[in-house]
Amino acid sequence: MCHVVVNPPAIVLESASKRYGSATVVHDLSFTVERGEIVGFLGPNGAGKTTTMRMIAGFTAATSGRVVVGGHDMAVDNVAAARSIGYLPERPPLYETLGVASFLRFVAKAKSIARGDIPGEIERVAAACRLEDVMRREIYKLSRGYRQRVGLAQALLGRPEVLLLDEPTAGLDPGQLHETREVIRAFGRDHAVLLSTHILAEATVLCRRVAIINRGRLLAIDSPTGLERAMEHTSRVALEVRAPAPGLAEVLAGVKGVRNVDIRPGGPGNVLAIDCRIDAEDGVEAAIARAVAGRFDLHRLERHHPTLENVFLHYVSDDGAPDDSA
Amino acid sequence: MRGVLAVYQKELAGYFRSPIAYFVMAVFLLGTGYFFLYNVFLTGDATMTSTFQNMGLLLLLVTPLLSMRLFAAEYGGGTMELLMTLPLHPWQIVAGKYLGAFTILLAIAVGTLIDIVPLYLFGTPETMTIAAGYLGFLLLGMASLAIGQLASALTRNQIVAALLTGAVLLAFWFVGHLQSFQTSPMLRGLTAYLSFGLHFVDFIQGLVRTEAIAFYLVVAAIALTLNTGYLQWQR
Repeated sequence: MCHVVVNPPAIVLESASKRYGSATVVHDLSFTVERGEIVGFLGPNGAGKTTTMRMIAGFTAATSGRVVVGGHDMAVDNVAAARSIGYLPERPPLYETLGVASFLRFVAKAKSIARGDIPGEIERVAAACRLEDVMRREIYKLSRGYRQRVGLAQALLGRPEVLLLDEPTAGLDPGQLHETREVIRAFGRDHAVLLSTHILAEATVLCRRVAIINRGRLLAIDSPTGLERAMEHTSRVALEVRAPAPGLAEVLAGVKGVRNVDIRPGGPGNVLAIDCRIDAEDGVEAAIARAVAGRFDLHRLERHHPTLENVFLHYVSDDGAPDDSA
Repeated sequence: MRGVLAVYQKELAGYFRSPIAYFVMAVFLLGTGYFFLYNVFLTGDATMTSTFQNMGLLLLLVTPLLSMRLFAAEYGGGTMELLMTLPLHPWQIVAGKYLGAFTILLAIAVGTLIDIVPLYLFGTPETMTIAAGYLGFLLLGMASLAIGQLASALTRNQIVAALLTGAVLLAFWFVGHLQSFQTSPMLRGLTAYLSFGLHFVDFIQGLVRTEAIAFYLVVAAIALTLNTGYLQWQR
């Protein structure tokens, strides 16, 4: 599918910061989300994901910087901006004593959906979120998965241009997880979706781009594969060689691109497990194989590509000061 | 206006899907019924004056129960985040909630009309005096609910909201009693002017003064404006 972007991005953050007293929760955050893309917002707990979501949704105002949603500056006209936003907070905001249908009707009215369109809209989101069976039930009687999906349905009402989802799949079972991701994926084809999660697999399958934040700072933003590629210089080669292997460490250290060699006794049998951290882009594993194969009994050689998980841990742990945010 | 209506309808549904509205109505109607029987049959006085006086005091008790949930429950239930991110101006939220609570009060007032039936059956009450009393009751309710709604916005805890409302309303009710302690005429005038109770007494005696109407409305308007401003400031 090809999208020609003529409008400004659906979400724009320009050096947005949020301070509470002397504590800076979000620090100088800048990024954009275009229509037709799903951007994953990745970070450990307490990284500032929820605060950022709240700034974009208009629940809290940025202390400095600019947040523009759907062309409306949040500081100037957040009500106009709110018309283009569907927002599912971390804790689904539900009126416990209302039935699902009357709750959705309230949100539809508050979103100024035309009176005649409301029943159709409710039917559409209920079908998308598989809520048909619980429409007449009071919300306090619903299971966690249903509550989460009522929250999502509420956000989808009125087909908002921008969808903000704060951990939308928390509390879902695997079946629901799959369905919910499909709903988000379908919606993301022609809307802007920003989705926060700490599940890396989710970001990999759903998102075109991933933003990694920690301690309120944006550490990286790129496609999942782009982030992995950027990390490739720190990827690893693991091999197993029959012991004893005198001089192996020297041989490996001599191969161009190998930075660091770690030799440990391996698993069953008389085997050594070696872990090499390598620098170079390509072909290092072949060079290692050539250097080792002639002189030693090589059992196994494997190149580990960085997963998004490694990327994430890399960024989050290399982030300077010791972790005090737990 | 649709935004106000949406919040209003949600508020009403919230009242009637929880026991609060029923409980408050029952307490109020039972209380009023008791006072009415006492005032009319034991004292043989076929007017509503004493009953209105008691209704005013009952209202001070009941208002905190009606208003305490208005915002405190939204904070507690996490729904404030929805309310403040829907395309609604804060004033629409404030107005919708206020109208919802006022509707309950109106229903209570209508419920007490049943007490008037025997007055007309067995006596000749002054209709205009009774009408003035109800007008005063509703105005007193409007001011009290607005104060209660503001208190509810200031805290996440419904009990704290109710206690705060009760304290403020009691202070406004009894501030008139301080007037005999004041030596300066200005303070005497001020304490009398600020008294919810003294203005209310005028109404139940059939005296409808523009000044009293304006007083209650201004108190309500100030509280609701502060309420709206507080929501905006909170962002």
